Amino acid sequence: MADAAAEARVDQALVARVLLAEDRRAFEQLMRRHHGMVRAQLRRLVNGDHGRADDLAQETFLLAWRKLHQFRGDARFSTWLYRIAYTCFLQAQRKKAAPSRSSTDSDAPNDSASRAPETDILALRLDIERAMQRLTQAEQIVLLHCVQLGLSQSDTAYVLSMPLGTVKSHAARGKEKLRALLADWRDTSLEEATS
Amino acid sequence: MSDLNDDALDQLLRDQFEGPVPDDGFCDRALLALPARRRSATWPLTFGIALGGLLCWLTLHATPLVRAAWHDWFSGHPTAPAIILLAAMTGLSLLALAWSMAEAYDR
Repeated sequence: MADAAAEARVDQALVARVLLAEDRRAFEQLMRRHHGMVRAQLRRLVNGDHGRADDLAQETFLLAWRKLHQFRGDARFSTWLYRIAYTCFLQAQRKKAAPSRSSTDSDAPNDSASRAPETDILALRLDIERAMQRLTQAEQIVLLHCVQLGLSQSDTAYVLSMPLGTVKSHAARGKEKLRALLADWRDTSLEEATS
Repeated sequence: MSDLNDDALDQLLRDQFEGPVPDDGFCDRALLALPARRRSATWPLTFGIALGGLLCWLTLHATPLVRAAWHDWFSGHPTAPAIILLAAMTGLSLLALAWSMAEAYDR
């Protein structure tokens, strides 16, 4: 918590240097601090298309550079960047008019009883991936931000421009579905995998 | 059947996430694409202040009110013109203070 506050203060100081002294190197530092997670977020959003994710990440930082004076410090800088990245992703989606991400793959998660223990973790990962793809896009995106990127639910609501109640219900429904889809896994396998 | 609790499920999802992507030249490429920042123009503010000052002077220099107010103020007589002048200056100072505080808060 204290670390997060210190990180936020460093970001604020760097933003101030960019705005007041036109310091490009300060923006470079901001980019080096945050590009990894922004690109990871975008890779997830575009289903692992690294090239497209990097194009969107570049667009994100370009927008951040142009609109930095609009950063008020109400949210953390990283959260503000996630919001820009998500907006870039949505705009690209609209342009592309891509078909729904919801998978038509109806394979249920496999029964783990007959697997060798060393393959269990790999199989579990595969099953979680499949299970995730069976959630609605909104549920996947909310879980990505709330759980995988480690944002609070209110920060997730800010990033996704969604009411907090909607975020909470998507998260709860998504987890419920995942629990049902992963129900075939035994406790022991899960404990091994999460330990 | 597994009764997967919230923490275990969160942990599974976090483990599933690859984490930060290594740089691999991304930042250098992105920095090259950044355009020069546009400085916000200061001339409209300067021009506005100068124009406002000039209009005030043109409006008030012919009237004896201001001169009388200054005279009464410096001689220590709280006459109506002196009080009006004082109230106007106080009002303008408060407006300037509120504007400065709003600008400072925005930054």
